[in-house]
Amino acid sequence: MNYEFDEILSTIKMTEIEHFDIRTVTLGISLLDCYDRNLDVAKQKVYDKIYKYGKNHVKYAKEVEDRYGISIANKRISITPISIPFAGLNRYEFIEMAKVLDKVAEDIGIDYLAGFSALVQKGFTNGDRELIEAIPIALSQTKRLCSSINIGTTKAGINMDAVNKVADLVKKTAELTKEQDSIGCAKFVVFMNAVEDNPFVAGAFHGVSEPEVVLNVGISGPGVVLDAIKSAGNVDLQTLSDVIKKTIFKITRAGELIGREVAEKHGIPFGIVDVSLAPTPAEGDSIADILKAMGVEDVGAPGTTAALAMLNDAVKKAGMMASNSVGGLSGAFIPVSEDQGMIAAVQKGNLSLEKLEAMTSVCSVGLDMIAIPGDTPASTIAGIIADEAAIGMVNDKTTAVRLIPAWGKKVGDVVDYGGLLGLAPIMEVRTISSQGFVSRGGKIPAPKRSLTN
Amino acid sequence: MKFSEEELRQIALNAINELGEKASPELVKKIVAKAVDESQENVDLPKSETKVGFDRAILTSFGLDRPGVVAKITNLLFEANCSLQDISQKIMGDFYTIIMIVDLSSGKYQMKELDEKLQEIANEMNIKIFLQHENIFRQMHRI
Repeated sequence: MNYEFDEILSTIKMTEIEHFDIRTVTLGISLLDCYDRNLDVAKQKVYDKIYKYGKNHVKYAKEVEDRYGISIANKRISITPISIPFAGLNRYEFIEMAKVLDKVAEDIGIDYLAGFSALVQKGFTNGDRELIEAIPIALSQTKRLCSSINIGTTKAGINMDAVNKVADLVKKTAELTKEQDSIGCAKFVVFMNAVEDNPFVAGAFHGVSEPEVVLNVGISGPGVVLDAIKSAGNVDLQTLSDVIKKTIFKITRAGELIGREVAEKHGIPFGIVDVSLAPTPAEGDSIADILKAMGVEDVGAPGTTAALAMLNDAVKKAGMMASNSVGGLSGAFIPVSEDQGMIAAVQKGNLSLEKLEAMTSVCSVGLDMIAIPGDTPASTIAGIIADEAAIGMVNDKTTAVRLIPAWGKKVGDVVDYGGLLGLAPIMEVRTISSQGFVSRGGKIPAPKRSLTN
Repeated sequence: MKFSEEELRQIALNAINELGEKASPELVKKIVAKAVDESQENVDLPKSETKVGFDRAILTSFGLDRPGVVAKITNLLFEANCSLQDISQKIMGDFYTIIMIVDLSSGKYQMKELDEKLQEIANEMNIKIFLQHENIFRQMHRI
């Protein structure tokens, strides 16, 4: 027999019991060649191109699922940041384009299409300005479209004018979608150091240096890691790190296999594996539970940041060893609404926004899916974004903010979106003002570590 | 997938020429879409054929030991024209475990269909059967 008995059992345990799944296979499609001076022609080009490459996406993913018996939770599409090929559009035309994108996503049968985005770390083009005006309306009038704005990089610093604009945008989106608990904000991410090959929605886009079309895969598996930690028992931290690494190694290898097979079916190049621990609202699929299994009483206890740093590092090291094509965000995600354990920690008062902010400095994303009171002023939101961006800028890492200032809600209320987006308790935000600082505008200069040449 | 804009235009022009007077935007669109679909089917076929040689699966079964478990499973594999490349079995008290390596390349079922049939046996005999592609094990446990 080529395989040991316990090797076979460990694999079966992962797929059958511990909810190991592939979180997403994301088809990246370049729209750089879709501009046309006639808007109707441009819209048709965009629709046709996405439809042409994407129409079999769900079918191929299903075939690979059947072949390997590993489920692929999401099939998605990312596109070139829309403000780049379509820099000449005005806000009304961008809204029309948004509807085309929503339509093609529906026709293909995917739940989200991401890339209604702009990169403004150093400044705005006219197209960027128009797009930012269009985003709140576009998000309120579409279902499947996701949007993001990159407001800074370690090389360029932080564009505070953009931060202020984005804060207004978030408030406006919350208002326009107030009937559905401000759900529009769940489809918008503001980034620092955005990566070009992230397969995870809502922040995915197909970077300008990416090929014509590419397939990226995002793996997951908090349940698998949780079980491994639990069965390791009371071992020291080095041994624990090893346990995590071994587990992640296996799921990364399996993830890459699945990604390559889907890419092969499409007949397109395979891009990257994003080795991320992404939770879902399902029981046992929680990062908070992993941190608790590592030994902290609840998320938010002193020691949480250290535990998360270690977890994140083990994930990256194992991923790097397992695959040559690790990319995207690759780390642990700590969204609040999508993780039962996080929700519970917030509701018990154990986890505050400030502790979450500290945790984001050592993990892969940022303040993700956090609902805050609807009356939070835009300047405070700008302050939160600026803080998070500063963490990303100084540490040369990606950080993101996905805040939901839930219209009409106060601390103690919850917003419930159901499905993958989950349930978000409204978190307390400090009421002392950031106005004087953020309204200065301009840019926060790039830090010393930007000068690496 | 393999078409450039130029080629698509050519297909559309040919369609318009053929249709002559009858050409309408809808008709032309339909014909082009059909041409693209057909070529995709052609492109995909040889690919899946070349993969077939590597189609080995690992079948694992466990449960309360009772006569006929191996017979039931191997009988199905025989019907499916799948060859059994390796088998190992352990009895632990009242329980058994079986691991088989099955070659699906000459079989008449795809993974999914075979798995469905195996699950029928599993339900009937009140045992567990898992069928998974060998590639997963190779990826996870071999560098």
